Amino acid sequence: MTGTPGETGGIERLRGHFLVVAAVFRRELATVLRTPGYGVLPVGLLALLGGVIAVGGGAATGFVPAVVDLLLVTEVVVPLVAFVLGYRALLVDAETGELAVIRTYPVAVAGYVAGVVLARVLAFLAVVVVPYAAIGGVVWATAAPDTTIFATHSGIDSPLLYVRFLGLLVPFGMAYLSLATAVSAVVSSRRAAVAVGVLAFVVAVLGSDLAILRALATGTAPSAIPGLLALTPNGAFRGLVFEGVIGVAFAPDGGFVDVGRAVGSLLVWTVSGVAVSTATLAYGDRLEVVIEAVRTRIVD
Amino acid sequence: MALIDPYGDRFRRLLVAVAVLAILGGIATAGAYAADPSTATPDPVAYDDTVELGLSSETDELMAGSARVPRLQVFYSQLQYVVGYNGVESFVATIDDGRTERQFGYPLVVYVETFDGGNPGVTDDGRFEAERSTDWIPANEASYVVDSTARSPAGETVVPFAERTNAEAFTAEHGGHVLDWAAVRERSFDVDSPATVRSMAPERWAEADRRIADAETSATGQSSNEVVVGRDAPTIGTAIEAAPPNATVVVPAGTYEETVVVNESVTIVGDGARIRGDGNGSVLTVRASNVTLSGLTVDGVGNETRDPEAARESAGGDDDEGWDTNIQLGYGHGDAGIRAIDAPGLLVDDVTVETNASGVLLRDGSDAVIRDLRVDGSDDWRDGFMGVVGIESRVTVTDSRFEGGRDGVYLHRADGSVVRNSTFVGNRYGTHLMYTGDALIADNRFRNAEFGGITVMTRPSGNAIVGNDVRDSGAGIQASGTRAYVGYNTLANGRLGFSTSSRGSLYEHNVAVDNEVGAHATTVVPSSRVVANDFVGNDRHAKAGAGALRVWADDGRGNHWEGANVGLHEPGERAYRPTEPVDAVLHHETAAAAVRESPGAVLLDRLHGTVPGARSGSVVDPSPAPEPYAPERIAAARDPDSAVHPDWRRELGSTSPRRGALDGGSTTGATDTMNPHYRHTTEATDVTEDRRSTIRLRTTDAEGIR
Repeated sequence: MTGTPGETGGIERLRGHFLVVAAVFRRELATVLRTPGYGVLPVGLLALLGGVIAVGGGAATGFVPAVVDLLLVTEVVVPLVAFVLGYRALLVDAETGELAVIRTYPVAVAGYVAGVVLARVLAFLAVVVVPYAAIGGVVWATAAPDTTIFATHSGIDSPLLYVRFLGLLVPFGMAYLSLATAVSAVVSSRRAAVAVGVLAFVVAVLGSDLAILRALATGTAPSAIPGLLALTPNGAFRGLVFEGVIGVAFAPDGGFVDVGRAVGSLLVWTVSGVAVSTATLAYGDRLEVVIEAVRTRIVD
Repeated sequence: MALIDPYGDRFRRLLVAVAVLAILGGIATAGAYAADPSTATPDPVAYDDTVELGLSSETDELMAGSARVPRLQVFYSQLQYVVGYNGVESFVATIDDGRTERQFGYPLVVYVETFDGGNPGVTDDGRFEAERSTDWIPANEASYVVDSTARSPAGETVVPFAERTNAEAFTAEHGGHVLDWAAVRERSFDVDSPATVRSMAPERWAEADRRIADAETSATGQSSNEVVVGRDAPTIGTAIEAAPPNATVVVPAGTYEETVVVNESVTIVGDGARIRGDGNGSVLTVRASNVTLSGLTVDGVGNETRDPEAARESAGGDDDEGWDTNIQLGYGHGDAGIRAIDAPGLLVDDVTVETNASGVLLRDGSDAVIRDLRVDGSDDWRDGFMGVVGIESRVTVTDSRFEGGRDGVYLHRADGSVVRNSTFVGNRYGTHLMYTGDALIADNRFRNAEFGGITVMTRPSGNAIVGNDVRDSGAGIQASGTRAYVGYNTLANGRLGFSTSSRGSLYEHNVAVDNEVGAHATTVVPSSRVVANDFVGNDRHAKAGAGALRVWADDGRGNHWEGANVGLHEPGERAYRPTEPVDAVLHHETAAAAVRESPGAVLLDRLHGTVPGARSGSVVDPSPAPEPYAPERIAAARDPDSAVHPDWRRELGSTSPRRGALDGGSTTGATDTMNPHYRHTTEATDVTEDRRSTIRLRTTDAEGIR
């Protein structure tokens, strides 16, 4: 292998970062696997989704009606599961002082956060996407026309549309997981984590849409809806589901959401969650000192 | 104790596997976005397997000759069933409508049959004809001839060709010009709708008045010569022979034991006269035009309900045509009190027939007016036959009464017939139409019909069923076909109020009270409007068979459903789903209202009605009416002594004045118990498509013939 010493050093450094992330990732995965509660989540989710499908009835005929039935539930359940998986992710190590120990090794905060988040993302995939995929399998196996005396076709309905839906679950869930991780980094106790987590959940799931409604009521131009909708994780997700899955059945031209902005928004939410976590862990102590200084100055 | 050791070697391999899986999942997702399902193009199917909309293919005219209506098949984005359209123009008209797209989604692909090699032409009476169609091709690749001399039974017809040169050759011979698909789609076509049938219903009533008046005029105009039986001739038969054309044969009171053949245009007037046959064959046979039979009672009819020879002759044919022939030969050749063969202008007035076969049998163009006929049939319908059989004859029945026997009025290929102001008690079916279109069945009373009050089988077009009162029967109205108008009927206390078996039809202002099932949505692909009906006191207001979600409302106007108002919402504000378990019992069970307010139920409410084409087996009324449309008829339906006949002719814009209302006498019917086999048959008939019902019927009727 040839190259300048600088480049070799760069690769070595990169390798070092990777090993750190991998070690944290593996450790975090061990934590996840040893949390018995997480094992129950996918079972409960599967039961919930199965119930929605059974009562909704859309799954009896195809993927698009099944997604219609699932959409509203998904908008609540996926953020909820993401918060459950993430609200203590960074808190526990900080609380027990393990983070301080870890920091004595050559482990960058960013690497530590990345390792934790990646492990949690994998857990999220197992807990959320697997049950959804299983539901897709059920629809695929059972959806059939009521009667076969006539020729039937599947219309636009296709498993591809369900795969699209599954694909959208991932960035949607990651945005919330990243938010939840940020919450776990910011707070200093488990109780605070629950409180702030619930608050963030409600604000994000309900508040953002209410804000759009409020904006419309106060005279914002309707043409701004596709752009506004894309700003919040729920709006972006819902818009993309309409655009790529449900809308295909009745409005092939789309126009439900500004697609680029919606995808970008989900990414930005994810990245900013990680960034907040990293910043808090890296500079939180110093910030506390500053805040304490300000506080004492005001109080005194 | 962990199931998997995160630090073991196996775990490393597992991680690699997960990573590979994730990458594959990512690729699959990317692929799912790269592929565009909205451009899927399924191949054309056999037309017989489509769900057919548009013009009926079973009108007399089309079955009789070589005329054709060009056909399309459409694959809609949300609908699992392939929809066939008879007539390019009937599909184009649905594009304008917008309603179809809301229910089925947009058309993914449209195929059209072309006639390049089928020797296309125009019949003498201006219908498009072809020996065969050559190929199904995508509609946007075909060339279309419009404004040619070729017509369909409903008006202008568009003729598709695969090659533009062939289309131009057609225009050279039959006029018109050639358009491409985009231009055809932009055109607006004048296609008959059920609303047309509705507007014509009062006109048909008036037409019946004219027919009756015409028949009376020709009868009274004949009375210059009189031959009196007993004075001028010993028997009715000899009196007719002695009478000059257009004379009146007077039959004084008494019983005359003879069978009579009328070969001349005469008027036979009795006064308390009874003609008694010998128990073999028909009693009176009419083989001349403009004969009037009046003031007679007929009995001693033979027991042969159908011609057994005919049934045997055509037993080999299993197709529709063979079956049709079978019926015509069999049903048209049984015994009857009065039998008319090729006897146009027949007037049967104030006649009673006591029979275990048919009462009046009309065939071969015996366009007759039947007024004040009374037929007393067998107590058990299996022992008897029809009150009136009309085959290939335009029949007008008014102010008559049919008690017992198989069907009160059975019409087969009797387009334009009118059955009105009559009473039917204890039949199998009260009025039964086969291959009969453009008929009017109005203001009749039906009681205790075992299978149903009014049934229309096969696929006729343009029937109007208006203002009837059906009670205590197997079913109120089961009308198949297309473009039917079913309105202002009162259907009470039966097993089923009405079924929506007729496609592209209008069901409005009907009242279904205290039935086991108020209405049954049968067609797989919804294409009819069901609005402004009242459903009160039914065990279940509505039931839906296989097929896409039916939306029963039109332009924000729904039906009235007892129980839909229950709950915390403004009346009419919340969608009502009569086929869903909670909504279905709101009018029985108070607690259902509390269940309905649960977040789960509210959530479901929200979901239903989205992508309707892809949902199945249910009915939703998005805007139920808070108040009944016809409260007075609901009340009257529960009063056993009243017959309900709303003033529909005024409401539909009638031009003729309303005749005197029917007497309100109570009716009592035979309380026969139903054979379980036949019960099964009627229910199956109702559940399935009329196409299958024909087959079912065929089995039952074939059994009957043998």
